Amino acid sequence: MKIVVGIKQVPETTNVKINEKTKNIDRRGISGVINQYDRHALEAAFEIKAKTNAEVIVMTMGPDDFVVSLQEALALGADSAVLLSDRAFAGADTLATGYVLSEAIKKIGDVDLVLLGQQSVDADTGQMGPIISEFLDISQVTYASKLDVEEGGLRIKRYLENIEQDITAKLPVLVTVTDQANDPKYVNIVEIAKSFEKEVTTWHASDLNLDADRVGQAGSPSVVRSISSPKEVVKDNYKLPDNPQDAADELVKILKDKNILVEDK
Amino acid sequence: MEFLKENWIFAEVDLNKVNPITYQLITKMNQISELPVTVVLVEGSSESLEEDIKEYGPDKIITIKNDQLVQGNDLEMTNALDTLIEKTGRPNSFVFAATVVGRSLAPRLQARLRTGLTADCLDLHFEDDGTLVQTKPSYGDNIMCEIVVPNHRPQMATVRSNVFEAKKLNNPMTKVINITNLKVVQDKQLTISSKPLPQESAESITEANRIVAIGRGDKTEENLTNAKRLADKLHAVIGVTRPLTDLEEFDINDQIGQSGQSVSPDILINLGISGAVQYTAGISNAKTIVSANTDKDAPIFKHSDYYYVGNAEEFSKALEKALQ
Repeated sequence: MKIVVGIKQVPETTNVKINEKTKNIDRRGISGVINQYDRHALEAAFEIKAKTNAEVIVMTMGPDDFVVSLQEALALGADSAVLLSDRAFAGADTLATGYVLSEAIKKIGDVDLVLLGQQSVDADTGQMGPIISEFLDISQVTYASKLDVEEGGLRIKRYLENIEQDITAKLPVLVTVTDQANDPKYVNIVEIAKSFEKEVTTWHASDLNLDADRVGQAGSPSVVRSISSPKEVVKDNYKLPDNPQDAADELVKILKDKNILVEDK
Repeated sequence: MEFLKENWIFAEVDLNKVNPITYQLITKMNQISELPVTVVLVEGSSESLEEDIKEYGPDKIITIKNDQLVQGNDLEMTNALDTLIEKTGRPNSFVFAATVVGRSLAPRLQARLRTGLTADCLDLHFEDDGTLVQTKPSYGDNIMCEIVVPNHRPQMATVRSNVFEAKKLNNPMTKVINITNLKVVQDKQLTISSKPLPQESAESITEANRIVAIGRGDKTEENLTNAKRLADKLHAVIGVTRPLTDLEEFDINDQIGQSGQSVSPDILINLGISGAVQYTAGISNAKTIVSANTDKDAPIFKHSDYYYVGNAEEFSKALEKALQ
C-alpha cells in the first residue's frame, strides 16, 4: 500500500496579533511546528504501516523552511518526503493549493490512501481534503475518529453532530483524521538529526504537470480583503468575593436581578 | 458573467429532521439578500421537510427526493448538486452549515465548480453588486478575515451554527419545486451505515440554554458528581474540554471548543477551566459567562462576566447551596 500524508507547518501558537504598520499578521519570533491534526494523520499512517508494511510518503507545500516539519515526519517514521516549493505557488487559496497537491500526488502515482488532518489550526478551513479528493476523482471520508485496515480497504468511524457512522472504504480513498483517532508519538532532537540521512525531495512548479492559470494567486478565486483583530466582546470581568459561599450568594443574586436566572417553574 | 440571480442555502438534514442551522441561514439570507433566497433540500422519498422549511419563508425550495443521496456520501451529493446547477445555472451564492456535513460537502463542490469557498463564517453581508462579504475567524479566532470571491460564482461559504437567530416568517409566495429525475450514480467505494447517537442528555450542548463546563482539573469521580449535581440544580447540560473526552461518558458532542462544539447558552459556568484559545473559540456566543479557577491569572477570566479565584469545587458546592 502506498500512503501519502499531507501536512502543514503552522505557527507554534495561534496567539498572533496584527502588526499595526504592515496590517499583516505578525509572525516574527514564532517558530513553525507540524499542525496538530496532521500529527494524528501521520500516526494513522504509521499504524497502518506497522500492520501492512505500507510505504508512507509525507508531503507539504510551502517555503523552504517547511523542510523542518518534513524532517520531523521522517524521524517519526515516514519513508520519504516531498516539499512543494515555488514562488509561483505564493498567494494560493485553498483551491489553488489543493490543485498543486493533487498534481503532486498524481506524479507520485499509484497512491492508495491519502491522509490529512481534519483542518489546520491557523487557517481552520478543513477544505484541503475534499478539494484534493475531487481533483484526484476519488472518494472521501472526512473527520475520521477511528481507522482500521481490513481486507481490501479501511473501516472508519465518523461522528456527525447527532449521528454515528460506520464506513467501509475501498482503496483508493482520501481520509481526514480527527484528534480522537489516536495518540501521536513525538520524537526527540537526536532522532530528528538521524532522519537527515533520509532526503527530502523538492518539486518546483516545473516538475509538475500544472496549468499556470490554476496555481498561486492567479488560480485563487478567493481574495482576502482585510484582516483585523476580532471585536472584543466587552465582558465585565467582575471578581466575586474570596469566600466561596459569599461569592455564590452574590452571583445568584446578580443573576436573578438581571433575569438571567429566573426561578424555575 | 451570466449566472442565476438567486442566493442558495443547502438544507442540512440529520435523521429526517432539518438541522436548526438551516433556519438560521434562511432568516439571515432573507435579511441581507436582494435576490430571491432558494433552499436546496435533499430528503428521503417519503419525507416532506419542505413543510417545516416553509415556515421560515424562503422564496423558493428546490426539493430532491432521493433515498440514495440521503445516505450522505459526499461524492454522490457533489454529483447531484453539480447536475442541478448545470440545469439551473450557477447561483450568485451558495451557503452551507459549518457542520461536519457542510464542511465536507461544500469544499468538494467548490473544487468541482472551481470557485471560492470561505469556511466557518461568523458573518455575511452583500454589497450592492451582489458580492458576498464573508467574515471568517482564523488562528483559533484570534484574527478575523474578510474574504470575497470577485470573479467566480457561486460565492460559497460555510457558516457556524448559532451565530444567527432563526425567526419564523410567513411568506405565502414560497415556491416548491420538485426535482424527481436527477440521476445519481452510486459511489461503490464507500459503504456508509449511520445510526443516531444515543441521546444521553435530552438536550445537546449546542442547543442548551444553560451549561456547566468542566475541565481537566475536574476529572475525578467526586468532582464530576459535584458538577453534575450543580447542573441538575440549574437544569443545565454538562460540557467538557478536550482532555475529558478521554473518559467513557464524554465524546466530541459534549466537547466545547475548536475541535468540538460552538455553544451559545444564556449562561455558561466554567469550573476549573483555564481558558486555552482552543476552548474559548467555542464560547464566544455564550451570553453570560461565570468562571471559577484557582489560578488568578487564568485566561478564562478575561472572557468572563463574573469570576471566582479559588477552588472550583468549593465554589460549585456553594453555588448549589445558594440555589436552594
